[in-house]
Amino acid sequence: MATKIDRREFLKLGLAATATAAVGIGMSNQKLIPLPMAAPEASTKTHGPENPPHKWVMVIDQSKCVGCDLCLAACHAYNDTPPNMSWSRVEEVAPTDEGKRVYRPIPCQHCQDAPCVEVCPVGATYHRYDGLVMMDYDKCIGCRYCMLACPYGVRHFNWEAFTGPNPDVPAAGHPEIERRPRGVVEKCSFCVQRIDRGLATGLKPGIDPDATPACVVACTYGARLFGDLNDPDSPVSVALRNAPDAYRLREELGTDTRVYYIPAKSAEENAL
Amino acid sequence: MTLWRRYVIPAWQQPVIRWMAFLGALMAIGVGAALVVFTRGLVVTNLSDLVPWGLWISIDLSSIALAAGAFSVSAIAYLLRRKELQPVAKTAVYVGFVGYSIAMMMLLLDIGRPDRFWHGFVFWNIHSPLWEVTMCVGLYFSVLMMEVMPIIGHWHVVEERFPRISARMVGIHRITPVLAFVGLCLSTLHQSSLGLTYGKLIARPIWYGPWPMAITFYSSAIIGGVALVTFISLFSAKLTPHARINKQVLDKLAHGVGWAVLFLLVFRWWNLMSMPVGYEAGKSEALHILTRGRLAFNFWWLEIMLGMVMPAILLLIPYFRRNERLRMLALVLVAVGVVAYRWDTNLVGQLVVFGTVPGSDVPLFTSYTPSLVEILTGVGVIAYGLLAITFGVRYLNVIHHGEVVEAPAEASVPAAMVPSSSR
Repeated sequence: MATKIDRREFLKLGLAATATAAVGIGMSNQKLIPLPMAAPEASTKTHGPENPPHKWVMVIDQSKCVGCDLCLAACHAYNDTPPNMSWSRVEEVAPTDEGKRVYRPIPCQHCQDAPCVEVCPVGATYHRYDGLVMMDYDKCIGCRYCMLACPYGVRHFNWEAFTGPNPDVPAAGHPEIERRPRGVVEKCSFCVQRIDRGLATGLKPGIDPDATPACVVACTYGARLFGDLNDPDSPVSVALRNAPDAYRLREELGTDTRVYYIPAKSAEENAL
Repeated sequence: MTLWRRYVIPAWQQPVIRWMAFLGALMAIGVGAALVVFTRGLVVTNLSDLVPWGLWISIDLSSIALAAGAFSVSAIAYLLRRKELQPVAKTAVYVGFVGYSIAMMMLLLDIGRPDRFWHGFVFWNIHSPLWEVTMCVGLYFSVLMMEVMPIIGHWHVVEERFPRISARMVGIHRITPVLAFVGLCLSTLHQSSLGLTYGKLIARPIWYGPWPMAITFYSSAIIGGVALVTFISLFSAKLTPHARINKQVLDKLAHGVGWAVLFLLVFRWWNLMSMPVGYEAGKSEALHILTRGRLAFNFWWLEIMLGMVMPAILLLIPYFRRNERLRMLALVLVAVGVVAYRWDTNLVGQLVVFGTVPGSDVPLFTSYTPSLVEILTGVGVIAYGLLAITFGVRYLNVIHHGEVVEAPAEASVPAAMVPSSSR
């Protein structure tokens, strides 16, 4: 028998090893994995980049939203989602004082400190260079932990494969991305394919429709705005400057989201 | 025909064979249901985007918890050098092996892409408790396989037909203390991280609280695991002469479980009831579901009364403890309580989804009842577990606590692991 150390010795060794490891981990600045397999952009960070070149933000003006779901139809078409799944949802919330109905559309909030990114065991959901929260459908194992972690309930699972025609095509638009396979989680991407295509061709996301998320373009009431918060002249920067009462969802969780809401005001408040 | 008359008919007359055939039938049904899941996808379950973790995850959590006897008894026997527990450790390791294989089958069914089960080992997200659990469960399963090797090596079929392989497999018992240490580390990591998996989620106030969740999961796993191993040993000894037990040792374990269950009660109470008295969105509703709503029966009766209070009374008061049936009842109730705890915990955080703006939204209540396919696969996998344990007791001698041979000082070989020829 090889183990000839007594218990005291054993415990001492164990304690020393643990302490060494703890100090090592503490000093290593979290770079625990030198392996190439630990994709750096995907899994060593749980919060988005500090100073992204573009800070994409969506502003939703609840006083303009009428709950018509045009944005959802466009989203269904451009992102080719099945009819029983919506990347955004439009909730009806408490009416204003004079009884005007108020809606709140909820897309993925693209949190800077995203709970889903933190908990995904394989790093299939991650922050892109500009801080958008993305899905890697080739990595996702479909454990659905991120769905439990998301405080906004915007993640959806492909319980079955989406086959057959998309009822919103061609009325509301044309698919721009591939359909996702059965068994993976998906969510709103801020139409990242449109942003990237627009940037590559010199367009300005938020201003040029071809470079702006489909839901923003589809909204005939102008309730959804999109743009770069780093650019002081972008539609979102202007709108937020003029709306000091803009709020974000569940700010107390510290998720630091990228979707701002301008509350619907009663007629009285509007007159002020 | 003669074969039929000579082997099958006499075998059928043995109750254990009929029991195993029954379990085999349940397993076959389970395999059929699993094929339905794999071909048609998770749409055949009653899971939804609002309740994504259901029956399978509960079975998975329960079997991992009840398998914790393996590392706990091994650690006591080999690291704290309680030699009299070494034969019990063998039973525990076998039960643990069965438990983890149940868990892995359930997980394979539950994930949307079973073909990518290995992704956790290759693509790392060190911040995710679930990643840690994946790694530790994978590694610990290999530890358990090595610990189970000597048991398989001693199976007379292997011993007679493949004596060399048998010797190799039996030889692994030399590193049992090392395996016990590695198993203790890995189990401590992932048993507590399973609690953290829930405790980390800021989106679910009833779960949120990393410390209490990790501690209650870890401690309830140890207690439930030890209770189950003790129960299986006592119960098998009642049924078959193939199981030989050392009553004194098992009594000691049962007594320990009695005390531990009281601690568990305190932890569980601390986890749940140490909250602000006022209203807290999401948490208050979930607590209501647990204590007054759908889960109230599970919580008060299965978890608290039958799972903790009753066993503590039965195991700690000498008058009851002396009654063997009551002792067995108490032990199995502890295991039932741990299963109920896992079921309640998994569901309670999902049955209420709170609004996206504090104060302005009514919480959304969801519901979940497992579908037939989920139940059939779950039952099939549990039948596999019972079959494996029956097989182990009957043919692998996993319950042989009777003869405690004082092992030589150099090699702390459990009595039951000494080659049968030298006994």
